[in-house]
Amino acid sequence: MGKVLMKGNEAIGEAAIRAGCLNYFAYPITPQSEVAEYLSRRMPEVNGNFLQGESEVAVSYMIFGASAAGERVFTTSSSPGISLMSEAISYIAAAQCPAVFVNIMRGGPGLGGILPSQADYLQATKGIGHGDCRLLVMAPAGVQEAVEMVMMAFPLAEKYRNPVIILGDGLIGQMMEPVEFPDHLKSEPSNKDDWAINGMDTRKSTERNLVKSLFLDPTQLNDNNLILKAKYERMKKEEIRYEKYNTDSDYKVLIVSYGTMSRVCKTAIDQLKEEGIEVGLIRPQTLFPFPEAAVRETALKEGCKAVISIEMSMGQMVEDVSMSLQGKLPVSWYGKCGGDIPTPEEVIDAVKGLNV
Amino acid sequence: MEIDLQGIVVIVGNYGSGKTEVSINLAVNKKRAGVDVKIADLDLVNPYFRTREARSQLSEIGIGVALPPEEYLQADLPILSPVVAGLIKNPVELTIIDAGGDDAGATVLATLADAFNGKSVHMLQVVNPLRPFTGTVKGCLKMRNEIETASKMTINGIIGNSNLIDETRPEDIYSGYEFVKLLSQESGLALKFITVPSNLMTEIDVSRFSCPVLQIKRQLVPPWKKAVKLS
Repeated sequence: MGKVLMKGNEAIGEAAIRAGCLNYFAYPITPQSEVAEYLSRRMPEVNGNFLQGESEVAVSYMIFGASAAGERVFTTSSSPGISLMSEAISYIAAAQCPAVFVNIMRGGPGLGGILPSQADYLQATKGIGHGDCRLLVMAPAGVQEAVEMVMMAFPLAEKYRNPVIILGDGLIGQMMEPVEFPDHLKSEPSNKDDWAINGMDTRKSTERNLVKSLFLDPTQLNDNNLILKAKYERMKKEEIRYEKYNTDSDYKVLIVSYGTMSRVCKTAIDQLKEEGIEVGLIRPQTLFPFPEAAVRETALKEGCKAVISIEMSMGQMVEDVSMSLQGKLPVSWYGKCGGDIPTPEEVIDAVKGLNV
Repeated sequence: MEIDLQGIVVIVGNYGSGKTEVSINLAVNKKRAGVDVKIADLDLVNPYFRTREARSQLSEIGIGVALPPEEYLQADLPILSPVVAGLIKNPVELTIIDAGGDDAGATVLATLADAFNGKSVHMLQVVNPLRPFTGTVKGCLKMRNEIETASKMTINGIIGNSNLIDETRPEDIYSGYEFVKLLSQESGLALKFITVPSNLMTEIDVSRFSCPVLQIKRQLVPPWKKAVKLS
């Protein structure tokens, strides 16, 4: 099959089907409702399930239930909807069940607005639910990458028996780009005997599985948290992904930016190059685990004098950038968060304003 | 070959078929030919990338744009401005109505039935065979039926808009033309025109087409790209 022209939201839906996920539960919210629109047409064609829940809270527990039964399952929502799901996300992580969540972020806080934003960075990477839980967080910069990340997300969720979240801004959902789909994945989680409560008939083990997040014995609860912590440490070793741009040049400034914001930065970098000003870019593709060492090493290249985090938020990722730099270089922030995306010209001004 | 259209033209089609780019560029094409043109953004279902994004460029070249009031432009709920009904009742030489996608987007047309009453209307379905669900004649006819049912109006022409945005190749234009010609034969609907992106115009042999060609200068671009100047 050749390339097709797809809206990000449609491509995300198709990618999930290609990843063998035949269960989609969702509640509509702008700017991601086209995923449900698309899958309401497509799921019946592949004998899959689409159910619109009565709320995001209901949806999030449908996800928990299907995952506990050993099914590949996912949902999509946008910022306020993800907040409503955060309780179940914590339960799913505690019970060590895999699931995939997609957040097509809109402006916040509160109901905010319906235009693009990246203001759920801290929520996704550090505060997705109560307790010591973390999600693997991936951030695509285009429709093709969204497809690839959705298809990676299911096996990764199963590898870690932990939810994975795709963090896209509104543009990722709404923009149209040509895409190509990789081959289908196997439809069954290969290790579901480890957690699924789907009867003993087909299971190799004679041990019964128990899906729960309640551990009243403090030692058991601490032990469960240690298991989760070990998984998050393993993610830091094995799952870090990032991309660099113009870092072969003698750059004086390094931009750290992710998602579609990074594409505005690339245009700005190309224009600055024409003026004889070299600027490098590092784009985290995983936000948790954050590519700390890569950001630090790229920033500490000889000649680089300053680092700027450019975000569609009021300065969230900049905290991880500062932690990565460990005080070795000045770190600043530039961004907007109302739905207006900084233009290449505004990024150029922000870089020039650093006066290095 | 000139595009032969006047009166009220309603542009429908599936999500992302390119209705808005077609509407904007058609408006500019006819304005250039000296026709009095107005355009109405009737997209009540799509949150981004609507005709309203190009409103200042269109106004600059003298094309009137009917929109919801300024304070509701970013609203997350459907707003149908009474200006649209007024425009249909008192059309200019060419009045283009850019509807929303799919049957959901076309539903609003049914609420304008009073205004459309007794008027002759060209309702044209934009088809991009490189989009999901409209890569087959069957898929396009299903979409046609759904739109006709929702809008309570009849589609009477096709616009071929085969493209992959920046990655469109000449072969996509030629195969897209063959596809809409076949669709026209099977459906009995007239093929009104096809589109070609402005950057491919010099490479394309328009003598291979038996219908007019509308050049597309892309206006609905993401913020890291620049729209092609209309004027």
